[in-house]
Amino acid sequence: MLSDLVSEELIQLDVEATNWEDGVRKSAQPLVDAGKVTPAYVDDIVKGVNELGPYIVITEHVALPHARPEQGALEPAVGITVLREPVEFGSKDNDPVKFLFPLSAKDSDGHIAALQSLVELLSDPEFFTRLEAAHSPKDVMGLIHDMEGSL
Amino acid sequence: MADKKFRALVCCRAGMGSSMMLKIKCDQVIKESNLPIETEHGNLDSLNGFTGDLVVTMSDLTDELAVDPRVPYAVGVKNIVDKAEIKAGLVKYLAEQGVEVSE
Repeated sequence: MLSDLVSEELIQLDVEATNWEDGVRKSAQPLVDAGKVTPAYVDDIVKGVNELGPYIVITEHVALPHARPEQGALEPAVGITVLREPVEFGSKDNDPVKFLFPLSAKDSDGHIAALQSLVELLSDPEFFTRLEAAHSPKDVMGLIHDMEGSL
Repeated sequence: MADKKFRALVCCRAGMGSSMMLKIKCDQVIKESNLPIETEHGNLDSLNGFTGDLVVTMSDLTDELAVDPRVPYAVGVKNIVDKAEIKAGLVKYLAEQGVEVSE
């Protein structure tokens, strides 16, 4: 379940970011602090975008910052960061990005159900409406439990 | 040829996360439209020794893959949740292989 991988400490609302790299680093910092990924993992996310372009921007206004597991994924986790003002990633189709879902997974096969929930939530405009209206990480956890239950 | 299944590698740089989510959406489209495609997922290293028919990635990687000799055909997806876009890309590939897809 997605709610097994997200926790309040990984959720941040109303975050100020000066550019895409700042947004990626800020979104991933709670995962570093909670021991879910190493700082090198975050560096590799940034490196990947610099080398290959904004491929982590997967749908309108949404980025899924993640890197190769061997770069420092320690425990499976999904974070949620909502930016105060969206930032440009250079994605022709999906800029600007307001929502970031940093991801740590050692392998994807063990987390198919969680990723399935996540992709279904990302498919649902109501999820983003409610996420923007959330006032606290606790609200967001409630939203995930609520919507995940109805998938 | 009726039973021929095309093999698609769904991949991203990391080989988990977005590629797995893209695979989930591709599988939904393939099932709903009954397309003769089966998917596996991996990272860019999975292209070494890849013997399948096509590669599906997010569109930012597609330009790079289109010129990669290991990639027989690349389908790029701009929006991971847009099933119509995913379907259009797969149907276009199948049409070029001479496979008509009934609606």
